[in-house]
Amino acid sequence: MSLFIILAIGAGLLVGLSRQLNGRLALSTNAWESSFWNHIVGLAFVSLIALLAGGLFGGAPLDAPWWAYMGGPIGVLFIAAGSWAINRIGAAQTAMLIIAGQMISGVAIDIAMGVQGQLWARALGVALILGGMWVTRTAKAKG
Amino acid sequence: MSTDNPPRFIHYLGAFAAGGLITLMLLTNGTLAQYGTLLFSSWVPHLTGTVLAILILLTLRPARAAPKRPPLWAYLGGVSGGLTVVATSAAMNSALALSGTIALGLAGQIVFSLFADAKGLFGMAQRMPGWRDFAGLALITAGALILIFYGSAP
Repeated sequence: MSLFIILAIGAGLLVGLSRQLNGRLALSTNAWESSFWNHIVGLAFVSLIALLAGGLFGGAPLDAPWWAYMGGPIGVLFIAAGSWAINRIGAAQTAMLIIAGQMISGVAIDIAMGVQGQLWARALGVALILGGMWVTRTAKAKG
Repeated sequence: MSTDNPPRFIHYLGAFAAGGLITLMLLTNGTLAQYGTLLFSSWVPHLTGTVLAILILLTLRPARAAPKRPPLWAYLGGVSGGLTVVATSAAMNSALALSGTIALGLAGQIVFSLFADAKGLFGMAQRMPGWRDFAGLALITAGALILIFYGSAP
């Protein structure tokens, strides 16, 4: 169990590391180029894993709805936005706002798709996040 | 090192909107994983993303911000991203489940970002987080935990 806890925390550290590296690349190049390198290097890496471990093809991926294949274009925009933001508001505020946006849009999509949920938890969660964003919004970056 | 341009509302809005993109990606890539394999659901978006990024670079031809070449290790963000998929899928299939994996992942992300800002990691701007940052973090983390563990419970 503790191994999986380390893996889950490690995944979060890797997300931060990835954004920091891409942000550093954008500092010398630009946000679009950093997104390009993130994707092509990631493609090479995932392909290497597939070659060594197998498991790339299976199931019936062609039966998936067309929009399930749109994750790539969305990801290009996501990495570019992260590389752009981190050099302007810092790593902590970028992470905070991305988490806030993910959580609040998740609630919106759940409600739109009719996913059952507890109203009090959704209302309280969104209110706390909006409050946190308001507090941070007026923070001055020091250094 | 201090920033040349002070933070503006558009920067906050951009980061917040990027969070919305993650929700869409979870939907697209998660659906793809239901039809194909987990590796396939990571490989496809990297492939289509690479193609789109090339088209964007050819169309916009954005200028490089600095004449000096970036260090080679700065190109490794994609490796870190690929490893994230592996670590996440392993943890997700344990007793932690999806909610526990996401919650611990948020913790890891926040700790890393605070450390990175305080150190000015990899030569980026150094920012000492103030009390408002910690207060905002506490509120956002509390809200996120409530949504993760109680938000979509039956």
